[in-house]
Amino acid sequence: METCGHGWGENDVHFQSVITTLHEFWSNQGCLIVQPYDTEKGAGTKSPHTFLRAIGPEPWSVAYAEPCRRPADGRYGENPNRYQHYYQYQVLIKPSPPNIQDMYLDSLRALGIKPEDHDIRFVEDNWEDAAVGAWGVGWEVWLDGMEITQFTYFQQCGGIDCRPVSIELTYGLERLTMYLQEVDAIAKIQWNDTLTYGDVHMQGEIEHSKYNFDESNPELLFTLFNLYQQEAEQLMEKGLVLPSYDYVLKCSHTFNLLDARGVISVTERTRYIRQVRGLARKVAQLYYDQREALGFPLLKESVGKAA
Amino acid sequence: MATFLLEVGTEELPASFVEEALAQWRDRIPTELEAAYLAPGDIRYYGTPRRLALLLTDLPEKQPDREEEAKGPPAKAAFKDGKPTKAAEGFARSKNVSVEDLAIRETDKGEFVFVQHQIPGRPAAELLQEWVPQWILGLEGKRFMRWGDGDFKFPRPIRWVVTLLDDELIPLTLENGSEKCESDRVTQAHRVLHPAPITLQHAQDYVATLRGAYVEVDVEKRQTQIKAAVETAAAGVSGTARIDADLLSEVANLVEWPTAVVGEFETEFLELPSEVAIMEMESHQRYFPVLQPGTAAQLLPYFITISNGDPQKSPLIAEGNGRVIRARLSDGKFFFDADRAVSLDTFVTKLDTVTFEERLGSMGAKVDRIEAIATLIADQLNLGETERLHLHRAAHLCKADLVTQMVGEFPELQGVMGEKYARHCGEAEPVAIAIAEHYLPRGANDHLPQTLIGQALGLADRLDTLVSIFSLGMLPTGSSDPFALRRAANAIVTVTWDANLAINLHELLDQVVNTFVDNPDLTVDRAEPLRSQLQDFFLQRVQTLLQDDLGIDYDLVNAVLGENDPTYTQRALTDLLDVRDRATYLQAIRQDGTLAKIYETVNRAARLAAQGTLDTAALDPAQVIETGRFQQASERAFYEVLQALLPQTQSAQRDRDYQQLIAGLENAAPVVSRFFDGPDSVMVMDKDPAIQQNRLNLLGLLRNHARVLADFGAVVKG
Repeated sequence: METCGHGWGENDVHFQSVITTLHEFWSNQGCLIVQPYDTEKGAGTKSPHTFLRAIGPEPWSVAYAEPCRRPADGRYGENPNRYQHYYQYQVLIKPSPPNIQDMYLDSLRALGIKPEDHDIRFVEDNWEDAAVGAWGVGWEVWLDGMEITQFTYFQQCGGIDCRPVSIELTYGLERLTMYLQEVDAIAKIQWNDTLTYGDVHMQGEIEHSKYNFDESNPELLFTLFNLYQQEAEQLMEKGLVLPSYDYVLKCSHTFNLLDARGVISVTERTRYIRQVRGLARKVAQLYYDQREALGFPLLKESVGKAA
Repeated sequence: MATFLLEVGTEELPASFVEEALAQWRDRIPTELEAAYLAPGDIRYYGTPRRLALLLTDLPEKQPDREEEAKGPPAKAAFKDGKPTKAAEGFARSKNVSVEDLAIRETDKGEFVFVQHQIPGRPAAELLQEWVPQWILGLEGKRFMRWGDGDFKFPRPIRWVVTLLDDELIPLTLENGSEKCESDRVTQAHRVLHPAPITLQHAQDYVATLRGAYVEVDVEKRQTQIKAAVETAAAGVSGTARIDADLLSEVANLVEWPTAVVGEFETEFLELPSEVAIMEMESHQRYFPVLQPGTAAQLLPYFITISNGDPQKSPLIAEGNGRVIRARLSDGKFFFDADRAVSLDTFVTKLDTVTFEERLGSMGAKVDRIEAIATLIADQLNLGETERLHLHRAAHLCKADLVTQMVGEFPELQGVMGEKYARHCGEAEPVAIAIAEHYLPRGANDHLPQTLIGQALGLADRLDTLVSIFSLGMLPTGSSDPFALRRAANAIVTVTWDANLAINLHELLDQVVNTFVDNPDLTVDRAEPLRSQLQDFFLQRVQTLLQDDLGIDYDLVNAVLGENDPTYTQRALTDLLDVRDRATYLQAIRQDGTLAKIYETVNRAARLAAQGTLDTAALDPAQVIETGRFQQASERAFYEVLQALLPQTQSAQRDRDYQQLIAGLENAAPVVSRFFDGPDSVMVMDKDPAIQQNRLNLLGLLRNHARVLADFGAVVKG
């Protein structure tokens, strides 16, 4: 592959090196670098490192690469730009720092993209996920017309006002790397020196698309949804916030699978969404109450550090 | 005289807010300054994605000193036995005058103490310091946000504030939680072209200094520059730019230093429907498409983007953008090919999984209802066999494109894609066209459907929407009309008028309401009040459209709609074309003076006739008049003129030709005047009840003939 001669440095920009570069960069900005969360989810926002940590007054800075699944987006690997499984690079900082845009531009420099050489724009784009009672305002960041990052100032999460406000940055890793490598299909992304994204994931795209659209067992999925929901509820009753949240995520993913399979009737659909939202709100409140009961420990820690 | 600069520096504002904010300042600030005796010679408003600014020039350095009269305590409390009390002394002190300056004057509430006192003008600097935070935080808009740990609400975080009065800094602080934003003389220039902050020496330097640092702060100037640059760029590739006005004003607020950059894509993408490519370019990328000169939608394989980057880097920027549009166009091509690999009928079955409205079931169920309503309309319009087949087929397919990948991606292309896919599947041309046309008109000034099948299908779809949403009790109120029901009803009336469709809306509403009552999946258990709500709603729409679109005077609209007279309202909905024709005809005879000649006679007759019992439907004098009871020749003449009128009125009823009826009424007018006031006039209210009845019936008949055109009682002048 070739990357030179376009003004963004001489390093080979492999998919994996994009992630390492971002890890290193955000680590240097004081972010905790965590590993992907081991439950299926539709977006990096749904990792408890973001969804729960954005709630309440405790400061928090975190960065991670997160695999995401959107079953209905599968195209059997035939569409060059649309996959049902992909990666996001997620940064969450609370409270939002005043120089976050400059920090972000520096992260692009770290990736070898000199803002001076390009047309970089912050274009209004607000975000809302009614299914989990969350919304925020922000931008999509355009690099020469390509949306490479989503910026969101969280205003509400799980129906709770965010105070202080977190800033969330979500890099579309495939988009970004495709741009850096000048390739026109996700599958053509060079993952490292020898293997492509297609080598790693194409078979999965094909098989999961078949599973999502044609072969999943709706009966089983309906049963699972109900079981997951029951489990989430009984765990909430016992005040086990994190295990309960896992089951909320499982409900949400199971719903997405059923939706992709086209077996959710119109009236059921609204009911399912309402159920997941109810669970998400409840667990969010429970998390807040739990942290409050603990005396918001991270708040004390940072106060202690500052003093 | 001084110059004052306020600049509020922010993270990138939503493009629409820049204009909104400046408009609020334009509204508010000049009035405020004037009211405070501090009107500047000129005010300029500036804005970019990263700043809102205003420049006051020729600003007085302080308010003028003013003399004002102040009202103090009641005279009784201020003076005891001619001596000032503590109240008087306190009042004088507060106004900085001595007690001797106080005067006593009578008011309607008794005697009070007054004083003329001097108000020293305050310095502009001091006032601006008080006002500026309010100017900033008083701005309003949608979707304001909080940031950091503070409670400020603004569209995006505020990062710096410049407040310079000439070369003096006017210090003020905006505190947002732990962030303190202190005003300064330091501004930020272009993010990447001039990353170093700039220290402004003097307020007057603002525009020029920023221009030197790659920021054009003048919104209009940016717009003009962009438009010119886009036109030049298009000409450079032998094309014409398609410049959408909304896009132009949005783009102007997405950049601080615009450069037009031309990019290119492969000609194979020109095989995509141009609607798709244009939408990709305009709505998604904010590009200006380039057209073959002299064509409306024939694309050339170029695009123009307005870059905020270094003009010298344009080739690299063009290349990057080119890759993006290529990826988008190949997405579009992928959707287009994938959609065309499946028949539209297959998509129809998928409509069962799409919600129309939760309680009304799926889009599939809506399509079933549209098909049924289309059949009713076909009956009314007496469609032939082929037309019926086409209408039925088009109704079946009209929503299929909603579940195609292309429309999933670009909802604005609903109908447009359906037409193309129908044609691809070999559907008859009228079917394909009707699928696109049934959405027309999409707004107030949009095209109307041109084909009969498209017109009929649009009526069926909208009737279903109206009846179904009304059946849930979700009637539009005030400004809230989430299902755009007013627009839907307007479209039904407008299309009917435009295409002269002989539909009976009154009957159609009855039939559709009944199918809802009969439908076990729906919760409508009785036809009333649903039916009367719909009738009222349509009557309001007809009334508004007659006045606003056809320019009919309000009293003539009332005359044809009969001011709640059920005969008229039912008649209007039964025959929308007739109500339009009667209204326009009335307006025409008002203009040419004919109305003035008859309306008083007719009204006088109608007022008196109201005391009688004659049915408003009676027209034939032979059936209700006893000629044997005539006592005067004027009665006989009245009778004869009514007899002459009868065939003319009947032909008006039959052919909606009201000219003859009006000619007949014109003839009758002098005869009726003679009946009232001539040498052989009569007393209508005769002592003999049979004679009285007979005369009231003559008048009643005249009224009834006139009623075939309108209720003249509603007409307020000739």
